[in-house]
Amino acid sequence: MANNRNSPTIQHTSFTKNHLAIYPFLKETAQYLAPLDLQIEELTSPGMQQILDRAIERVTTAITDLTIRPLNGKQGKYIIKDPQKEIISFPVALMLVSAIDNSIIKKRYALAEAKQATRELFFESNDLILKIASDFEWNITLTPFDSIFEFVLYFSDFLQNASHLHDAKWKLVNSKLSEGKIYLNKYDIARLLQEEIKQRIEKRLNNVSIGKYPPEISTIAEKLKTLATDHIKHTDTDFPKIVIQEAFPPCINALYDAASKNHHLSHIGRFALTAFLVNIGMSAETVTELFKSFSDYNERLTQYQVEHIAGGRGSGTKYTCPQCSILQTHNVCKNRDELCKRVYHPLKYYKIKSETTIQNQPENINGKNNQKQLTTNQLKH
Amino acid sequence: MSSRDFVYSKFAEFYNNPSTVLPTPINFEHREFAYLMFKERFMVRHKRFESMLIFQNVLAKNVPSDVYHSCAYYDQPDLEMDKKGWTGSDLVFDIDADHIPTACGKIHDEWTCQKCEFNGRGITPEECPICGGDRFSVKTWLCDLCIESTRVETAKLIDMLTKDFGFAANELHVFFSGHRGYHVHVENEAVHSLDALSRKEIVDYVMGLGLSVLDKDVKQKTVKGSKHSTATKKFKLHNYGWNQRLKKGMITLLSNATAEDLKNLGLKNNNLFKNKDTILSRAIEEGRWDSIPGVSVATWRKLAEQVKNLESANIDTVVTTDIHRLIRMNGTLHGKTGLLKMEFPAHQLDDFDPMTQAVAFKKGTAKVLISNTPEFRLGGATWGPYKNVKVVVPTAVAIMLILKGRAEVVN
Repeated sequence: MANNRNSPTIQHTSFTKNHLAIYPFLKETAQYLAPLDLQIEELTSPGMQQILDRAIERVTTAITDLTIRPLNGKQGKYIIKDPQKEIISFPVALMLVSAIDNSIIKKRYALAEAKQATRELFFESNDLILKIASDFEWNITLTPFDSIFEFVLYFSDFLQNASHLHDAKWKLVNSKLSEGKIYLNKYDIARLLQEEIKQRIEKRLNNVSIGKYPPEISTIAEKLKTLATDHIKHTDTDFPKIVIQEAFPPCINALYDAASKNHHLSHIGRFALTAFLVNIGMSAETVTELFKSFSDYNERLTQYQVEHIAGGRGSGTKYTCPQCSILQTHNVCKNRDELCKRVYHPLKYYKIKSETTIQNQPENINGKNNQKQLTTNQLKH
Repeated sequence: MSSRDFVYSKFAEFYNNPSTVLPTPINFEHREFAYLMFKERFMVRHKRFESMLIFQNVLAKNVPSDVYHSCAYYDQPDLEMDKKGWTGSDLVFDIDADHIPTACGKIHDEWTCQKCEFNGRGITPEECPICGGDRFSVKTWLCDLCIESTRVETAKLIDMLTKDFGFAANELHVFFSGHRGYHVHVENEAVHSLDALSRKEIVDYVMGLGLSVLDKDVKQKTVKGSKHSTATKKFKLHNYGWNQRLKKGMITLLSNATAEDLKNLGLKNNNLFKNKDTILSRAIEEGRWDSIPGVSVATWRKLAEQVKNLESANIDTVVTTDIHRLIRMNGTLHGKTGLLKMEFPAHQLDDFDPMTQAVAFKKGTAKVLISNTPEFRLGGATWGPYKNVKVVVPTAVAIMLILKGRAEVVN
């Protein structure tokens, strides 16, 4: 690598070096880097110090404020002083993040890189945006007539990315769809590319497989991990230690009621209820017991299904409860309330409401004299 | 011979008849095949076959009541679910009278409470009016009105798939399902890899679910410094997708509806009828929605909501979003009717008559004791109504009546 570092051979270049420095996730960057044959052992060599420092900086700012580098104001066209260092620091940062080996940090780093790219894209020409979109094999062209919607994107490329966004404007039903094409402006395209970029980087982070990291790198990774622990809020996995039924979202309450009255539940309704209960921390056995106490469920089948959802069977995947929009599509969403309008996932609803419930009603914690709390021993976990 | 034996023997004849040639689904070798055993009533799943000829021999030997293949393509379709290696799936739509309100009100369906045996006709209630039980055994029937209702939904779906999604005629495969509805399969490279979430968005589109213009809560920010930071959003529609459909639907509705019709739809504001010419030209054509006297944003929204209900296509949401779904195989028999699942060109939707063209058993007769049926059409003739009579009818009629639980073979 050292021999080639200052004179990498670039073939079939269509992006400038500065572009590759700003958008290092492009496929062409790999072509640029290939001759350098970057190895993990070399990261700690003195010649690499500057690059390693920049990589650490990348990961640090990604963790602390979801950025990679400051934007060059509204003038755009950020000129990177040392593009080569900037380009190489990207795969090095990927190695560092892989060394931390934490899925939340991986996601956050990918998000920071993607957000950075989107901010830069706002200032780019339509032609460059087309070129970057082509890197992701999008079926995209410029609108043939004069319009504020400068881009035409094929609906399948739109869906692959927009379906992850929660604002109503990204729903296909609200889009400007005609003959398979969706009319969008530059900002929309940049936002959709953010999803694509994030996914590509996440995929790369998950594919990096390095057996052993040099001790120096492990030390850096440890430090970054500590930094992340301080900065990243603990998310949805932290639910109260007891099940608080009055914090259930209305849809889950409706399903729970129906199940307890021995009413027939649709497949997706049963799945949503089971996955919800398992995810807020009930054990598979408890859920099975609960269902058994309700009804004439086929015991063996119920146990199998619950265990499957809880991740104890088959692939071992623990399934999560479907998000609100999925429950709406299948008519499982019921009795929406004010809090429902602010969240997009039943577990998020439970998280928020259970916290306020605990704050307002401390007796819940002790489980005393509260009718609505599931008080039987079997429900505590 | 029992009635089931009779039907079994006819299904066996069908699958053993050399003139029965089942169309080969595309990507045959990457699909999972499955069939429900006629007598044993269990599902044989996770099968892969080298050729249609081999599969047809298996069907001839085993005689299933229903035959399915996966909409999905797999690297190894014969392994268990987690190990199959999903590589893609057709985009499929199922429109079934079971899921939609029909013009007949399903008055021909008979339900019986499994708990107290109370019975009735029409749409199965959620709870038994006598004992509150919610499990019923249902004897369904299919009438021309059921099928017509599903045909109307299918036509709306095909219109969206063609105009809004831009699918070419040869990418759309339209089938009579063999029972009370239609299937539409889209075979297009770009949709194969769509995940469940993306397919859900297509479902929401087809159903008109989540349209922002109908959302009562949507507010828009007003100029800073004004008294209120938000105001009710103005009503406006752009010229693409569902917004355009709403406009066209409004034109159709307002041009044809009487004041009474609008009232029946819950549109009680008289100005919609009185000012309809101005609405058509100024509001819908020119986009000046706030220029119609006496028509507020709330009224526009109500009108749009009704138009959405009329213009959306009522599909089974689960089928389209399930990327591992098994679907009935083209050219095979439906175990509830003895009719064929059958493809026909999309442009022939109006003319295709399932009750004539999807009949599989065209020869022979049988003597049956018919308990109870309304008048119905099958195989180009009209039959019934029957009540507790012994009649000699064509094989197709006998099979349908037996499978529908309305008749028994008389030996």
